[in-house]
Amino acid sequence: MAREIYAYECTECGTLHYPFKMRCRNCGELEPFKFKTVPLPKRGKLLTFTKVYNLPAAYEVATLGIAIVELENGVRVTGQLEVDDPTIGMDLLGDVGVVREEPYNRYWGFIFRAA
Amino acid sequence: MRDVYVAGIGITSFTRLEYPLAEIAAFPAMLAMKDSGLTDIEQVYVANMGAARVNHQTALASAVVDSLSLTPAGAASIENGPASGSAAIKEGFLAVASGMHDIVLVTGAERMREVNNLEATDFIATLTHPLAEYIYGVTLPSHAAMFTRLYMEKYGVTERHLAMVAVKNQNNAMLNEFAHLHQPITIEGILDSPEAMTNNPYVAEPLRFFDACPVSDGGAAVILVSEKVAKSIDRPLVRIAGVGQATDTHAVHERENPTDLLAVRRAAELSFGMAGLTPSDVDVAELHDAFTILEIAESEEVGFFAKGEGHIALEKGETALDGRLPINPSGGLKGKGHPVGATGVGQAHEIVHQLRGEAGARQVADARVGFTCNFGGFGNNVICLTFVREN
Ligand SMILES: [Zn+2]
Repeated sequence: MAREIYAYECTECGTLHYPFKMRCRNCGELEPFKFKTVPLPKRGKLLTFTKVYNLPAAYEVATLGIAIVELENGVRVTGQLEVDDPTIGMDLLGDVGVVREEPYNRYWGFIFRAA
Repeated sequence: MRDVYVAGIGITSFTRLEYPLAEIAAFPAMLAMKDSGLTDIEQVYVANMGAARVNHQTALASAVVDSLSLTPAGAASIENGPASGSAAIKEGFLAVASGMHDIVLVTGAERMREVNNLEATDFIATLTHPLAEYIYGVTLPSHAAMFTRLYMEKYGVTERHLAMVAVKNQNNAMLNEFAHLHQPITIEGILDSPEAMTNNPYVAEPLRFFDACPVSDGGAAVILVSEKVAKSIDRPLVRIAGVGQATDTHAVHERENPTDLLAVRRAAELSFGMAGLTPSDVDVAELHDAFTILEIAESEEVGFFAKGEGHIALEKGETALDGRLPINPSGGLKGKGHPVGATGVGQAHEIVHQLRGEAGARQVADARVGFTCNFGGFGNNVICLTFVREN
């Protein structure tokens, strides 16, 4: 089953937020939860990235790619990067997969590969 | 508002300390009381980030005020990530400026070497956005690395510039008896020699081992007083002339221009504005170099150099101990160490030391205006302080 990651669209002014906020950064609406969820697109461009060697205890891999990606609709997200030789500006395709596993918990998030 | 002065300072070595956290906070407080000759403390603020998580202790301030036999003085703990130290100084400043108190003790402490490096890295990573960053394995080194890559692309900063910051600050730390690292390094040893890749491996590309500060235990304290008290004691008069604090988005990816550190810019503007001074008035500064790139970027955002030109000033030696504007004479976080909750207080300690002319081999000549930048989160909570020597 495909999982989705959502942006939060202000129902007053249409501004997209990711991650969730209580209050719209554009119009400042004070009525809480005035957001509708909008699935985030999967295609985007690589804004910046790193390959990390010193990983927190939850990761049993030697290195991990981390990236900031600008998606097609202009929303930016942080995610994992599985590209051998990344370059800033390259086209990426995101998938939603397990990004962290703990003994009783799994977390789903963006994993980006070359488009 | 009333004027606020620093009457006393104290610090522990930043290293691995084998005594309990409350004592790491109390020890420099004792030194600061001795330094000022003041023991009638009305209010205590204790800055710390990890007591609950790393040391399994809550309500640290209650323990510290008791350990110092200062009860029934008021006491509160301040947790504000890596900017806890300066946040506590701000609270102490407000307590005196408001007229509510005349003598306030601010002490910061961290004991994080109790856990291994990976756990320490994970503990610091808990300040990232829990759903949009932390779950991916994002750490502070990852943020700094992604930021560095953009700085390299946009402004021409190279690994050599980063290494120059590391060499400068570790060499300054050689002159500081309280510093964590007493290991002289050279560009040859960490970048150019055949052994460099072994000595200095990547931790998060393009950042290497020597681009990051060590994990330290340590404590630092200041005593803040009203003008009347300051003039009643026989200590040089150092006034906190400016306090500025600003925030930025929690998730780093939400920043419109990812090479801007807007909270640093605004906190510095507010601090200089309150002081009635400009960046060109500063004689000596302590900037939050948890990663070498941050010293370069902060030196621009606080207004010392134009955006994109911090690495050029570094290259010219302007930020060296004998340069036009020495940055991190103490060794900075890079050389002196980074016991997170104590760091902001440690920066203030160094600046007061410098403005009093007591810094010995690393004394900056004729220093009268000092400045600190304490960078919380990845730049999402920043406090800048301006200090002036008055007599
Ligand atoms: Zn809105």
